Amino acid sequence: MKRRWLVAFVRHAALLAWTAVTLIPVYWMLNTSFKHSGEWVTWPPHWVPEQPTLENYAQVLTPGSTIFDLGRQTLKVLKPLWDSLFTATASALVAVALGSALAYSWARFGTGGKNYPYSVLTIRMLPPIVIAVPFLVYYVSLHLLDTYTGLILVYIATSLPYVIWMMLAFIEDVPRELESAARVMGASRFRVLSSVVLPLTVSGLVATFLFVFILNWSELLLALTLTNTQVSTIPITLNKFQSVNEGRDYGPQAAIGAIATLPVVALGFLIQKHLVKGFSFGLLRK
Amino acid sequence: MPAARRVALAWLEREQVFKWLPFVPVQALLVFLLLPFVLLVYLSLVSWRITRGVWWHAPFVGAANFTVAVRDERFVWAVIRTFGFAAAAVPLELGLGFGLALLCRERFRGRRFYTTVFLLPMMIVPAVVGYDLSMLLIDQGPLNQILSLLAGRPVTVRWISDYRMAKAAIVGADVWQWTSLVFLIVLSGFAGLPPDPIRAARAMGASRWQIFRHIELPLLKPVLAIALVLRSMEALKIFDYPVLLTEGGPGNSTETIAVYLWRVGWDFTRVSDAAAMSLILMVVVVMYTVIAIHILRRERRQLAEEAAR
Repeated sequence: MKRRWLVAFVRHAALLAWTAVTLIPVYWMLNTSFKHSGEWVTWPPHWVPEQPTLENYAQVLTPGSTIFDLGRQTLKVLKPLWDSLFTATASALVAVALGSALAYSWARFGTGGKNYPYSVLTIRMLPPIVIAVPFLVYYVSLHLLDTYTGLILVYIATSLPYVIWMMLAFIEDVPRELESAARVMGASRFRVLSSVVLPLTVSGLVATFLFVFILNWSELLLALTLTNTQVSTIPITLNKFQSVNEGRDYGPQAAIGAIATLPVVALGFLIQKHLVKGFSFGLLRK
Repeated sequence: MPAARRVALAWLEREQVFKWLPFVPVQALLVFLLLPFVLLVYLSLVSWRITRGVWWHAPFVGAANFTVAVRDERFVWAVIRTFGFAAAAVPLELGLGFGLALLCRERFRGRRFYTTVFLLPMMIVPAVVGYDLSMLLIDQGPLNQILSLLAGRPVTVRWISDYRMAKAAIVGADVWQWTSLVFLIVLSGFAGLPPDPIRAARAMGASRWQIFRHIELPLLKPVLAIALVLRSMEALKIFDYPVLLTEGGPGNSTETIAVYLWRVGWDFTRVSDAAAMSLILMVVVVMYTVIAIHILRRERRQLAEEAAR
């Protein structure tokens, strides 16, 4: 009995320690986002805003308001928020659709050869900075620079490796007998996909979608290279903000951070159950 | 047009057509995105700057850019430093993530709370993490306050302006954020473990440690392998944290490959030098990739063999 208490105590002590490590930075961001400028940097630091305010959010979210002028460029937050949402959603949708179809085709027919998933993985291994420069030149000549299409195409390609590997795990779990039974009963291949495979892999699709959505929502380097004024994502806005103010405009920045974090975290909590199922990449023996 | 539709559907139904359906768009996309590599090779062989006319008029200089790249100490150090960051961060992430998943695998009160919290960091934009830490790490910031409380005397660690501490901060940012992904992968591995062999071992009187050491750990090995591969290939791309937290400084002490190449290409506009360095980097990455893929293939092959048995 004593030993069980000890085990529980050690377990909770360790888990609480990491909980603190995880939550303090998140809390600090929220905390700062509700502070007046006088409280951003103080000694000792204020763990609770003395006079909580929403002015940082108001400043950042007012439609059409500009935070500062950057030469001719003005910085808004609503537009990047929308751009991020649009590019991340569109690229994740297409990547999940294409990638899972590919994974299915590979798992069932061996299309593309034994090593196909591995060769797709090499896309992900390449640091994006390697192709950033030629990509800019390439996109200029194709008139894809600073467009949604251009950014989305790149994001689809960089998401595919994750989609294929995550979905393989789920597709390999679908019993082939079930599929052949449906075929024997006269279902078309598309019908088998929609009525047998799809329902059995829903949680995989959801987890995969969320994961690549997060990746693309957060991507900085390629967005910085391939966009300019027409398209601008949230990470770029943060980066511009940081370099122009030398990181000293803490309040509004924290507000942008909180706004950028909230939708993803909310989505994550909703589908947490699926997440835990989706990340063994087909590498467990059944 | 129902007849035409039926014919079209029947054609799509044929195995030889059906199985290639997703491949056509994907291959088209890959070819579309591979063309810049040709351009990359070309740019590395000429002498071109963004500020100097159009690229197809740039003079051919052969291997000169590569000589510049190899002799560039700042480039060589950026490569070494980036591998150093990965070597420091990835084992920490694997260790912490595995340990936390081990503690959270079975049911107990509060488990849901802990899992929810531990999954949080991977959902935050890395750029946000970068500047969030820049708020925490200022000399008179909350982290130094906590450290002072713990130490019982005033502590001022100069996280951003001391070159060793700045490196630690970059590694810390990566560990803070990506331990959560390893945690998720391992937790998902534990959840997917087959119950039968474990039950059988327990029935035969195996201790918990024996089950863990001889059954669960070997079964989890492939999952740990992919966590290692994924994390190390992402860690070699570190860009956001140095850019937002330290701007590569102080000096060049946190300048990673991505940050330095960015500077060479954009800030210094030496596009051809950047192209040559990129190609050198690609060779390094390809070597690493071959090793990583070898590991993964071996793990999957073993699984397939065991499944066939």
